[in-house]
Amino acid sequence: MRWSIAHFLPHAQMTFLVEAYAFFYQLADSFAFLVLCGLGLAIIFGMMGVINLAHGEFIMCGAYVTVLSARAGLPLPFAMLCGTLAAGLVGLILEFLIIRRLYHRLFDSIVATWALSLIATQGMLIVAGPSIEGLKTPFGSFELGEYSFSVYRALLPLIALLLLGALYWLFVRTRFGIYSRATIQDADMARALGANTRRIYSQTFTLGAALAGLTGALYAPTITAVPTMGQAFIVQSFVTVVVSGADVMLGLAPSAAVLAFIQSLLAKSYGQLIGQIGLLMTVIIVVRVLPKGISGWVLQRNGGR
Amino acid sequence: MATILQTRGLKKYFGGLRAINGVDLVIEEGELRCLIGPNGAGKSTLFKLILGSYPPSAGAILFKGDDITTLQPHLRVQRGMSIKFQVPGIFLQLPVEQNLRIALQRPHRGAALDQALERLLELIDLGHQRSELAANLSHGQQQWLEIAMAVALQPAMLLLDEPTAGMSPEETFKTGELVKKLNASGMTIVVIEHDMAFVRQIAKRVTVLHFGEVFDDGSLDKIVRNEDVVRIYLGKV
Amino acid sequence: MPRWLSLVDGPQTLGRGPAFWFVLGVIVLVAALLPTFVNAFAITNLTYFLVWVFMALGLSLIWGYAGILSFGQTAFFGLAGYTYGVISINLGDAGLWTWFALLLSLVLPAMLAILVGYFMFYGGVRDVFVGIVTLSITLVFETFMAQTAGPEWTIGSARLNGFNGMSNMPPLTFPWGENPIIFDGTSLFWLVLALVVLVYVGLRILVNSRFGNVLVAIRENPERAEMLGYNVRLYQLFVFVIGSVLAGLSGVLYTLWGSYITPSSMGLTAAALPIIWVAAGGRKDITATLFATVLLTWLSQQLAVKGSQYALIWMGVILLVVVLFAPEGLFVTVWKKLRDGRRMRQRATAPKTVSLPSA
Repeated sequence: MRWSIAHFLPHAQMTFLVEAYAFFYQLADSFAFLVLCGLGLAIIFGMMGVINLAHGEFIMCGAYVTVLSARAGLPLPFAMLCGTLAAGLVGLILEFLIIRRLYHRLFDSIVATWALSLIATQGMLIVAGPSIEGLKTPFGSFELGEYSFSVYRALLPLIALLLLGALYWLFVRTRFGIYSRATIQDADMARALGANTRRIYSQTFTLGAALAGLTGALYAPTITAVPTMGQAFIVQSFVTVVVSGADVMLGLAPSAAVLAFIQSLLAKSYGQLIGQIGLLMTVIIVVRVLPKGISGWVLQRNGGR
Repeated sequence: MATILQTRGLKKYFGGLRAINGVDLVIEEGELRCLIGPNGAGKSTLFKLILGSYPPSAGAILFKGDDITTLQPHLRVQRGMSIKFQVPGIFLQLPVEQNLRIALQRPHRGAALDQALERLLELIDLGHQRSELAANLSHGQQQWLEIAMAVALQPAMLLLDEPTAGMSPEETFKTGELVKKLNASGMTIVVIEHDMAFVRQIAKRVTVLHFGEVFDDGSLDKIVRNEDVVRIYLGKV
Repeated sequence: MPRWLSLVDGPQTLGRGPAFWFVLGVIVLVAALLPTFVNAFAITNLTYFLVWVFMALGLSLIWGYAGILSFGQTAFFGLAGYTYGVISINLGDAGLWTWFALLLSLVLPAMLAILVGYFMFYGGVRDVFVGIVTLSITLVFETFMAQTAGPEWTIGSARLNGFNGMSNMPPLTFPWGENPIIFDGTSLFWLVLALVVLVYVGLRILVNSRFGNVLVAIRENPERAEMLGYNVRLYQLFVFVIGSVLAGLSGVLYTLWGSYITPSSMGLTAAALPIIWVAAGGRKDITATLFATVLLTWLSQQLAVKGSQYALIWMGVILLVVVLFAPEGLFVTVWKKLRDGRRMRQRATAPKTVSLPSA
């Protein structure tokens, strides 16, 4: 065993540490998954108030393009870039053709994105069949006690945090970010100040779609891509965004952390499906208790109405 | 005369903002009262507290002698109050006639409902447009329709929040006559208004709100002579 | 005609007058006589199309009339189906026990709807969040039932059977001396058809009544409705319960029809279907919803010959086209175009006949 610490610790404490790390690993994995799932959806929801039910299919798109281009011979990072860009491009086109007609019709935008989701899932089923051959997870694994951990999955929480940081920079430091935050606050005012709100909406939707594609790309090496995979992702995405509330920067990370804790705890004791049920029950309660999510609650406490 | 509405030490805070800061208001039965005050004085907030749209931070509201401070809004309405909102609150996608029927069907039934409907259509002069969608009416007509809906409940007390906003001078004058007519029939009416000509036309007594407090109270002539009122409010007009 | 019956025609429903009712009567009559013309397989299919109508009508009531978009009507559908399965497998088909199971399968969704409705409407949950709560509930049910594969998940003698679902529940049986009446095939078809007619007429009366007036008032402007003295939350709760019981009725009838029920009947795809039917026909009209549901379930079946994915793609396309080009729904849009066209023609011809004599 390479881990020298084992030589200095009695067996019982070693077992405890390993168990603790295993739980932490599970927690971080869950956290990363929720953050990555929620990002794209949260940006679109927070900025535009559009609930994108096709979010899972953008993730699916990113995963498929990544797998296909990696199998065509591209190095994995480039394949992932392709997946991200492809999802972003699809988002750009759909925004232009469909979404922009529905900005002030909340129910209709939900229903339309649901239709898109159905078309994409079933279309992929027809075009690519029930599943495609997956990729090998890079970097191998490391062992601790009787557990084996994937290095790649251990890296994902770091990537999630990096992405959050990058988005923070985007929204606070760039022209796009400043205009877009102004648009969230008051679209009419932003327009009067020279922001092209139509273009900002378009850019935001594209960004949200690309982030979804990136999520798909990042998870592509760890799962088998199937056309219905979007459904598994979208539930998690929604849960995170609803608990987060409209302000991504403020709410998403705490939301993902809380939910990851609930899910890991339940999953560890009662299995994955009960963990899933726990997430859904949390959302039901949060909608009732904190209708504006964690970020709305924080903003309210800090003196707003 | 008996008191119909009384507020005691009514307060409403939004975070640090004191929208209503200790208002004691007494409205007598059959009165026609105008509430005036600069923007943000708390006039609409006061109406919303009286109707129960949100709970007060402190204080009590009495209606016909009963404490209604914690009563749900629809129950307050059932006890005999009624409001016309600041922004016309009508059913835009429904025809004029159906708007009125929805208002009338709680107090009335059968033939009495049909008669009441005709009376109201005549009152607001919309008989010829009864099957038009409310959304297609002019702004003034929408205001009248909402007043008619509020009147349809045969309230003991009617609250009107800027009934003449967006109306031409002629329409405003007609609205004033309508308000006086309703008041003459025995209805207690409280009006929030900015248009001083309108206030002069209808009001016997005026209450000035400023920063969520009653600033002055009395006849319009007395109010106008108060230099402080002129300074905070009339002076800006 | 008594006053309550005259409410079948009113401002909240399209289609009225003798001609409309004559055509509708003929359609019902032809449908009722179909078993004498077509084979048993076609009747079974037809029953299947009608089974979904109740859930769709319920959603039209909740969403189209009262303005509450529930994404989770399938929760009530599934709950009812599983309830019928568990009760009827345990109690068997002797006596009136299957009817008792049917009744309980409607009572349980009603109770769940009261619970969920109270939680939402009295808790200030609004707009899109109603959709999120209801969708979450149906997904909780789906996930929960999917993990009941183990033998420990048995209620009495009924195994829940996880992802594969329950099957082999007894059909509705009415004791009739030596030969009890068993509702399957043609008799089930007649039962479902009768229920469709009953529920359709009942809903028409409901939406055109004072109650229906208040519903559309709440949809248009809940604050105004409240300030007219209506207990908005109670109305919302009530309409949500009615719609959910109807979804439950669809669930029981579906379970009776196929003698099986699975968790996937509550999943995301299943939950999308009622929304598609209701939106495509025209959510603000129950007649449009009724015919759209039958038509689209029929179309789905035709398209699904090569695989269900072909049907679902077209459902998605239809939904998208409707939202973009006929937001009021296909049937409602066409109906209004025709009606306005006829009025225009009447207006165009009317003045001529008046002005001619004076000319």
